[in-house]
Amino acid sequence: MKQARQMLLSACVGMLLVSGAAFGADEPAIAGDTTVAPAKAPAKDLILKGDAKCTGCHDEADEPIGRATMLELNPGVLAIATTRHGVKGDERTPTCTDCHGESKDHINFKGKGKEKPPAPDRSFRKITATPAAERNAACLTCHKGDKRTHWEGSQHAANDVACNSCHKVHAEHDPVRNKKTQAEVCFTCHKNERADTHKISTHPLAAGKMGCSDCHNAHGSAGPKLLKKNTLNETCFTCHAEKRGPFLWEHQPVTEDCSSCHTPHGSNITPLLKSRAPFMCSECHDGPHNSDVPYGTVAAGIQGGYANPNMNPTENATGRGCMNCHSMVHGSNHPAGALLHR
Amino acid sequence: MRICKNEMRMGALSLAVSSALAVMFAAPMSVYAEESWEDEVATIRHPTNYIELGAESVSKDSAKFGEYNGLNEKGGKAIVNFSVRGGDAYEGGDGITRWSLAGKDLGTTSRELGVALGKQGRWNLKVGYDELRHNITDTYQTPLQGIMGGNVFTLPPSFEAFNAQSATSARVLTANQLGAFHTEDVGTTRKNTSMAAGINLSPELSLKFDYNHLAQSGAKLIAGAARGGEAVPGTATTWRAEAVAMLMNPTNYKTDTFNLSLNWVGESGHLTGGYFGSLFKDGYDRLSYENPMMTAAATPVPGVFQTTTLGTAPDNQLHQLNLSGGYAFSPATKLAGGISYGRNTQNTAFLAGMPETVLAPQASLDGLVVTKHADAKLTNRTTQALTLSATLKYNERDNRSSSNVYQYYAINNVTAVDSSANAPYSNKKSELELAGDYRLGKSQTVRLAYDLEKITRQCGDYALASNCLVDTDNTENKLGVKYRVKASGDLGLNVGYSIAKRKGGYDNNAITPLGGLDANSLTRVNSQDYVGFVAVPYAARTQNVLKAGADWQASEKLNFSAEGRYANTKYDSTYGVKDGKTWGVNLDATYNYSEDGSVSTYLSQNRREQSMTIKQNNAAIVASATAIGVPANSSWTNDLKEDGVSLGLNAKQGGLMAGKLELGGDLTYSLDKTGYETQQNYAGATTGGLTCSSPNILSCGVLPDIKSRLITFKLTGIYALDQASKVSVGYMFQQLKSDDYAYNAFQYGFTSSRLMPTNQTSGSYAVNVIGASYIYSFK
Repeated sequence: MKQARQMLLSACVGMLLVSGAAFGADEPAIAGDTTVAPAKAPAKDLILKGDAKCTGCHDEADEPIGRATMLELNPGVLAIATTRHGVKGDERTPTCTDCHGESKDHINFKGKGKEKPPAPDRSFRKITATPAAERNAACLTCHKGDKRTHWEGSQHAANDVACNSCHKVHAEHDPVRNKKTQAEVCFTCHKNERADTHKISTHPLAAGKMGCSDCHNAHGSAGPKLLKKNTLNETCFTCHAEKRGPFLWEHQPVTEDCSSCHTPHGSNITPLLKSRAPFMCSECHDGPHNSDVPYGTVAAGIQGGYANPNMNPTENATGRGCMNCHSMVHGSNHPAGALLHR
Repeated sequence: MRICKNEMRMGALSLAVSSALAVMFAAPMSVYAEESWEDEVATIRHPTNYIELGAESVSKDSAKFGEYNGLNEKGGKAIVNFSVRGGDAYEGGDGITRWSLAGKDLGTTSRELGVALGKQGRWNLKVGYDELRHNITDTYQTPLQGIMGGNVFTLPPSFEAFNAQSATSARVLTANQLGAFHTEDVGTTRKNTSMAAGINLSPELSLKFDYNHLAQSGAKLIAGAARGGEAVPGTATTWRAEAVAMLMNPTNYKTDTFNLSLNWVGESGHLTGGYFGSLFKDGYDRLSYENPMMTAAATPVPGVFQTTTLGTAPDNQLHQLNLSGGYAFSPATKLAGGISYGRNTQNTAFLAGMPETVLAPQASLDGLVVTKHADAKLTNRTTQALTLSATLKYNERDNRSSSNVYQYYAINNVTAVDSSANAPYSNKKSELELAGDYRLGKSQTVRLAYDLEKITRQCGDYALASNCLVDTDNTENKLGVKYRVKASGDLGLNVGYSIAKRKGGYDNNAITPLGGLDANSLTRVNSQDYVGFVAVPYAARTQNVLKAGADWQASEKLNFSAEGRYANTKYDSTYGVKDGKTWGVNLDATYNYSEDGSVSTYLSQNRREQSMTIKQNNAAIVASATAIGVPANSSWTNDLKEDGVSLGLNAKQGGLMAGKLELGGDLTYSLDKTGYETQQNYAGATTGGLTCSSPNILSCGVLPDIKSRLITFKLTGIYALDQASKVSVGYMFQQLKSDDYAYNAFQYGFTSSRLMPTNQTSGSYAVNVIGASYIYSFK
């Protein structure tokens, strides 16, 4: 044991020596030496117009290294430079205080040591005293109209969802604006939908080929469930235009509401069906077939447990059930397709 | 009592370890300090570009595993991703030019490529390409010859008619027939090419345009049914009814989508006017195949054809004009709304010369659906505590297509000609939503909401002198209340309750296309639905929903949340769906224990139950059932139970090995079960001792659960070789176990009486994927 301790001690001393050799040659006595006068950050803007008041003050107050400490304390904040909000040449680009408020108490704070200044006027942190509506107002000052027309009174607005609940304004890559990572952001609140995407039948969300925003407008819409289009069907037909028709022979619920049969976020019944035929069809059609014979275990077929060789499952119930024959459930344009057979 | 007192002791060893670690961590910082702050800012200002090159290996072929991710085939795939951005907008001066070029998953069929260029605040242009192969199945087998994606399928010349008529034990495929079966990989490929552009004409006015061309190829499976014309052995009759074959329905589609909008934003108002166009074209007008259940030599009877033809999706177009906007009367009172007008047309020529068509009064539908939409929402923050909103919405689908009587041969055993009138369905939907949110102090909020929804359905031009549908209208009133409280700075609670009552209007005299031209008997409607049966979307009902949730931000690092939902729905219908229940629970916990590390976990559990009651059609029951005394007006029930559980565990740890190594792990498990139970409800019936398992018409009992279990385990490690270079290594295991009785019917050796087997399976798999890549980052 003693030998082991000695070996470890030697290794550490060795590491110290090697480290010193590696870095000592080029290194002025700054690292770890807080007594040396630091290279102070000039009080000039780093990224945004007028940001010096935010980025250049901490060095004198509480940080030992004594630099433009926003760089060290939270360089992620300055990543806003890589976003549209960081383009100074665009006259619309906000300054720090446009979003965070003038924050005089914060700026004039004279605390020492570990004392923390009061939060800015508008704080966008996870735990914040700034109400969601006030935070949102800062964003909506510029981001109004178009896709945010219906924000006021929308489901998200009414539930105190703030823009920064979903968006990372300072980040180089905002996860909610990337198809591959967007769903995870939405799943923070929409947990049933998260569970649905693990089912056997889904849209390609998990593969990152689709985002929630392909169907929904989280900023408010005139449609149901924050759908992008005015109706559910219009939204579905954006990608599934072959089902739009109008067909010669229409299936009435298809013309009114795709969700009569389908559930969009995931299902145990392929393809995204709410239930399995023939039972799903029985929810709307009593006859002519269904009331004749109840579909029980025979629907499973002999291999499903019904071992009577004289009873074969009818094609009304096995496989695709009703859709074995009524395969044109979305509508038919065949003159002989009245029963959605062709 | 023993008190343990730990003291901080700084021995030689701990001092040495601490010093070594301090120097190791301080060393990079000291190097960093060498750079001027200007350099650092410039570094931060420039976007991080990267190129990732590598390879990944998939352990097994599986269409289901590779359903959307392009990893459906065993073997190697290239990992190619990159993102490069630039422009003087990143220089910190007055420049506003930005450009980007990005590619994702270029080594798979899920590839994506995009280019963007613009002057921020002036104009922008984007061009993109996105490909998605949807792998549907790799176990489908068919004797039909023809390529996947084609629309003509024929049988091998030596293929004899499939014996669909004789007893089950004799219902087998011959060796010759089995030899004709071959496997096809069935799937569709969607290729999207897109272009978007925008220009700011002034600070207030901007113009946007986007265009998307979707080219779809491949096929999806569809069932085709036809008259089986095979002569019944030993009789002079012809086999009666539907012969079903699974077919590859081509998706030779092209959809062009346009959006053009002009946006105006003023101090107090904003307005957007736009055009949306969607043009759909199908490369085929039909899918034809030779019916495996009859031969050309079979006795021809009216309506029986060896070559069967299905129609494919007709070309259609939608042109829509939209206007939306908002106006702030004051900071407290705002109005927003919009109107839309659309014309959806379809005039594809009907298939001509089809033997199944006896009379087609028109050569094409010349279909037109006019859609109208209007909405207006007024919100008012009456006081800081009270916010009110009122919304009106109107949507109309006005199908102006003509209606005529068509004559045709159905696929059932009736040799007579059938007639039906096409029903151009229209509907009008009006909604009123009123809501008030009242804040009680700083921490409590109460929301009261009332919704009224009314929908009417009709056919504008119906060839028959009656309604074209039974369910003519619905009106639903919904009242909801929700209470939220911030119990403390860290703990939020909410609870909500809503009740909705829906009424329905029904016309039992309606003659629907399903029912042909015959007037209803007043005991059966909509093609033999019993009076009293109502389709579930239109049935009168009362629905109660209760929700509750809690979110506890225990600290900046630790968060717990829990939520639950219970809904109970009672339908008023005599027959049909009678009631339904759902409940669900979600539990989440996240611990961000350091800047570099976090652990999160969740559990979701959901259940859905639904029960139906269906009236028994005694007249249709075969003699054996009648003999056992099934009484009049008996009924049968079917109960649905669906359970789902989903578990997740995710962990991330960075900052390892002096900040060079990041590790991530993700485990998810989900289990879903859907079960149906059918029970006879012969009130007072004498069943002669027969049960659900008796070899009789009593087709009842519990079906095997449709069960799917999915496990996914992912590990990733990213090691930084230096500031610019990283190596990423990833491993994924995914296993799907799927049990689904629906596939029983497709297996060789046994099929239902008239269903051609495909040997298709439900797609269970266990697949390992391992990959490694090199990532080079630069500014």
